[in-house]
Amino acid sequence: MNNRLETFVKENRKAFDIMEPSADLWAKIEQDLDHKKKKKPVKLYLWMSAAAAVVVVFGLVWLYVGKLQNKDLEIADVSASYAKKEVHFTGLITEKRDSLAIFASANPELYKKFTADLRKLDEDYEKLKAELPTSPNQTFVVKAMVKNREIQLQLLKQQLLIINQVDDYKRVNQI
Amino acid sequence: MQGSRAAQFELYKLYAKAMYNVALRILNYEEEAEDVLQEAFLDAFTRIVDFRQETTFGLWLKQIVINKSINYLRKRRMEFVSTDEISEVPDEDSFDYSEMQLQAEEIRQAIIQLPDGYRVVLSLYLLEGYDHEEIAHILKISENTSRTQYMRAKKKLKSILEMKGMRDE
Repeated sequence: MNNRLETFVKENRKAFDIMEPSADLWAKIEQDLDHKKKKKPVKLYLWMSAAAAVVVVFGLVWLYVGKLQNKDLEIADVSASYAKKEVHFTGLITEKRDSLAIFASANPELYKKFTADLRKLDEDYEKLKAELPTSPNQTFVVKAMVKNREIQLQLLKQQLLIINQVDDYKRVNQI
Repeated sequence: MQGSRAAQFELYKLYAKAMYNVALRILNYEEEAEDVLQEAFLDAFTRIVDFRQETTFGLWLKQIVINKSINYLRKRRMEFVSTDEISEVPDEDSFDYSEMQLQAEEIRQAIIQLPDGYRVVLSLYLLEGYDHEEIAHILKISENTSRTQYMRAKKKLKSILEMKGMRDE
C-alpha cells in the first residue's frame, strides 16, 4: 500500500517519457561530430605531410646519390673480363708500390722521380675513368684504362729493377 | 566512417526521446535539456571506445545524461539539501497514495512543479530506477538524505495532486 505510487509509475513508465526533443537536434549533433572529426584529420594531415616531406627528402637524396654513382661507371659495368684484368693489375701495382716504398728510404731522389712518373699515369687513368660514362665507345676506354694499369705495372717493375741495381751498386762501392 | 554515422543516427533515434525526458525531469528547462542531450550524444560517440560492455549502451548514455544534467543544475547553484527543512519528518500517511485515482499525465505535471531538490531525487528514484545508494553517489549526498528527500518529495507530490483534484472538482 505504501508503494502504490511506485507500482503505478512502473506500470505506466512509458507515459512519463512523452516529451520530444527538437527535430533539428540531430543536425546539431551531426555538425558537432563533423567539427570534431575535422579537427583530428588536421593533426593527421600534419603528421602525414611531415612524414611525406621526410620521404621526399630521402628520395631526392637517394636519387642524387644514385646519379652520382651512375656517373662513377666502373669497368665491370662495361666488361667483366677487363675488370678482372684491371683488378689483377691494381693488386700487383699496390704490391710493387709497397716494395718500392721500402727501397725509397735509401734513394729518396730516385723515388721522387719514379712517383712523379706514376702520378702522371694515374692522372691519365682518372681522366679515362671520368670519360667512361659519356664515351660513345666504352670498350675502347676500358681497354685504355686496363692498358694504363699494365703500363703502370711495367713501369713499377722496371723501377724496382733499377732501384735494386742502384742498391747493389751502392753496396759494392761501399765494400 | 559513413557507416558509423548511420549507426550513430540509429542510436540517436533509439535513445534520444528517453534521454531527453531524463534530462528534462532533472532540469525542467527544455533548452538546457536539449543542450545536455547534444553534449551527451557527442560525448558518447567520441568516447565510444571507452565504453565497455559491462552495461548496455543505454545505461551508459543515461549516466552521461544524468551527470551532465546534475552539473547544469549545480551551475544554477542548486542545493540538494536545504538545511531549514531537515527537521521536518513526513508522517506515514502523507505518502500513502492508496485512495487516489492516479493518472500518469497528472503525476508528470505535478513532478514538474516540485522544487529542484525534490524533483531530482524523486525522478531518479521513481522514474530512472536508481536506489538511494546510487542517488547518494550521483548527488554526493548521504543515503539517508536521499531517503528523507524522497519521502518529502512524495508528500509534496501528493499535496500537489490533491490541490489539482480539488481544483478540478
